[in-house]
Amino acid sequence: MRVLMLTWEYPPFIVGGLGIACYGLFKALAEKGVKIYMIMPTKEKVFFEISSPWEADYPVAKKWDKKQIKPVPLKFYQFHYLVSEGAYATLVTKHLEKIQEFPVFTHKKVKKIPDEILKRLDFIMNQGNDLLAKVKFYTKHVLEVSQNLDFDLIHTHDWLTYPAGLILKDLTSRPLISHIHATEFDRAIGYGHPIIHEIEYLGLNYADKVITVSNYTAEVIKKHYKVPSEKIKVIYNAFTTFTEIPKKYKKFKEPVVLFLGRLTPQKGPKLFLEIAKRIIQQYGKKVRFLIAGAGDMERELMLEAASFGIGTQIMFTGFLTRKEVEEALSISDIVVMPSVSEPFGIVALEAMYFGCALIISKQSGVSEIIKNAYKVDFWDIDKMVNYVVDLLENPDKLKEMQFKAEEEVKTIKWSDRAEDIVKVYQELIS
Amino acid sequence: MLYIIFYFQVHQPFRINKYKVFDINESVAYFDEELNRFVFNKVSEKCYLPANALFKELIETFEGQFKISYSITGTFIEQAKAYRPDVYDSFLDLVKTGGVELLNETYYHSLASIFDLEEFIEQVEEHAELIKKEFGFIPTVFRNTELIYFDKLSDLLLSNFPQIDTILIEGADKILRGDSPLYARISYNHGHLLLLKHYKLSDDIAFRFSDRNWEEYPLTAERYVSWIKDLTLMEKEGRNLYLNLFMDYETFGEHQWKESGIFDFIKRVIELLLKEKNIKFLWPSEVKSTLNYKPKTLSVPNPTSWADTERDLSAWLSNPLQWNAMKTCYELLKKAKEKGRKDLITLLKKLTTSDHFYYMCIKYFQDGDVHKYFSPYDSPEEVYRYYIAILTDIEERLEE
Repeated sequence: MRVLMLTWEYPPFIVGGLGIACYGLFKALAEKGVKIYMIMPTKEKVFFEISSPWEADYPVAKKWDKKQIKPVPLKFYQFHYLVSEGAYATLVTKHLEKIQEFPVFTHKKVKKIPDEILKRLDFIMNQGNDLLAKVKFYTKHVLEVSQNLDFDLIHTHDWLTYPAGLILKDLTSRPLISHIHATEFDRAIGYGHPIIHEIEYLGLNYADKVITVSNYTAEVIKKHYKVPSEKIKVIYNAFTTFTEIPKKYKKFKEPVVLFLGRLTPQKGPKLFLEIAKRIIQQYGKKVRFLIAGAGDMERELMLEAASFGIGTQIMFTGFLTRKEVEEALSISDIVVMPSVSEPFGIVALEAMYFGCALIISKQSGVSEIIKNAYKVDFWDIDKMVNYVVDLLENPDKLKEMQFKAEEEVKTIKWSDRAEDIVKVYQELIS
Repeated sequence: MLYIIFYFQVHQPFRINKYKVFDINESVAYFDEELNRFVFNKVSEKCYLPANALFKELIETFEGQFKISYSITGTFIEQAKAYRPDVYDSFLDLVKTGGVELLNETYYHSLASIFDLEEFIEQVEEHAELIKKEFGFIPTVFRNTELIYFDKLSDLLLSNFPQIDTILIEGADKILRGDSPLYARISYNHGHLLLLKHYKLSDDIAFRFSDRNWEEYPLTAERYVSWIKDLTLMEKEGRNLYLNLFMDYETFGEHQWKESGIFDFIKRVIELLLKEKNIKFLWPSEVKSTLNYKPKTLSVPNPTSWADTERDLSAWLSNPLQWNAMKTCYELLKKAKEKGRKDLITLLKKLTTSDHFYYMCIKYFQDGDVHKYFSPYDSPEEVYRYYIAILTDIEERLEE
């Protein structure tokens, strides 16, 4: 089985959780014998082949003729996040005339995409926004790179890759899976960019199958994008760590409460700060808070934290490498994930793996599958404070919770997820 | 008579390392040895050595007529001895010429005068001892970090350092209220003579000299000297005027590059001034003996400084990052003293240096640019992260 994977992120190029999810998933799929051709927003006209698990760690770049250009691993590739001159106001459909014919293929399960939808896509990608221009760029890049590749289906990850997926489906009549890891509603906490909403709507509704990472997200797309239930398959995420045997370090005399994630409104770092402030008021100096991650809100959060005047009790780490993420988990006792809207939240699983007690928001996909965590509405700060203080005051309870979490998470594996996905693949191509 | 008082600030901080939360309990490398050495070497070549050579030459050529004063911080001397003994020697040589007066300040160039008065007194003592030990000089003139001054500071010096009789301060508009900075003033308690920086003529050299957008660019020595001569016209009653030109020593060769002609300019200015009959160079300590009028009192209830357009403490203490960092540092220092942890006391003192807080400044427009220019870090947030991580490590070590 050969799958064309379209993704915007893959390690080491990571912005959020998408890249890490793709890594875990692709590696597990490769183990199941799936051959993956991955196309990313690279400057060079290359794709990456993953046909064995080790290649997932170091995907090798290949040119259209499938010749390996050099043993250059992914990390040496420059990404074209810069928009070249004249990139605006050119239609993808015009671009198609220049490139070779795709092998036409008819598949009875693949529904045609109406012409006006493709025209509409072409039109909205020309709306002058920088990010949209990059999406158009990527779409052309995918069309060019994929024309000599033979694949059985197309699997796209999040809206940035949906236009390419739709056009490619129309050209090749291969089945299209739109995997949704996060919606614009999550990122924007409410209504976001209208064009992004439209691309999500089209990408989900004109795909042959939609995979969501939780029921939470399935409900969102049913409600807002009117995606029919029978089209949706929920396949949860799992997690990947590089540390094989999780270790616990005690860096401080005091216990550590951790926030780990991008510093954006979606992840609720301000709520975490409020929780920290209340705990310090109630519980005093005997605890430390760590805010780990980078993002637009760093200055705002730092100024607020510093204005509490509590010295070193709230620390910031800035951007963390993957290794440092795991180190942060190793030194923490309790992880609070107060996400306002979290399609999944892999961080919760990683925290469990590293033996951290968990307090997570109910507005998260991960809360649907784990038992050993306190689940609280993201706005219920009082409750979160009470749980944290209770754990701090009862070390035995904390230990028990940590132990249970560590045990529970062992059952959550990418290989099981990959199995479910392979089933979806088989249904679509049989 | 118009007296010209040159005073140069010579200082280098111990810039902190990119110390991460994960380094806590693992590493005690708080200071960026490599960066500090790099900066010191760079400034030595561009400024310290050529400027010292120039001023030494001028002092020797004009045999006692040309006089300058320096305030050299303890952290500078430590770095000079460690990184560039030749620079240290060149300062010793310069002082030996007899044309130089040395001033007293805080050893660590800190804001202790704002946060911890006991520590302030300690740091002033440490500095006075250092200057005596290194140069055999006993200063009688004081200047606080970045010319920070307020009435209580004068009280404090009066009761602890009786040898100090003169303080250098910023000639800020808000304290002068229309008066001229050319007249010496007396502190509100009548304890100290106050010399006010003439910020217009000082900053013409320190900030604007090589600014191509400045309407006076390119400034010639002749033109600058004519401005100074014009100042003498204002005095009709024969009172002596004191033109206080205070600036960072790095003005020569570092902030204003050698290519801008700054060295030739200052040399020519000094030569031209020495030809004038009613203009003389003076050390700050000589003001009191040349005064031919009773100075007016000057009260400064709120701290002023020479930094930024606000000329207050906002360069180091305008946002919560700076407040929390500084407050925590002094709290830990107090704790370390209580516990008699000499190893940590020295480290914490190095962390009181004002530069660390200057890098944490978040102000917009022009001042922000200046802060960015001087900062070796990418953002105020970055340095705050490192600083707090370092304090956390010290806090943990304090419990040992």
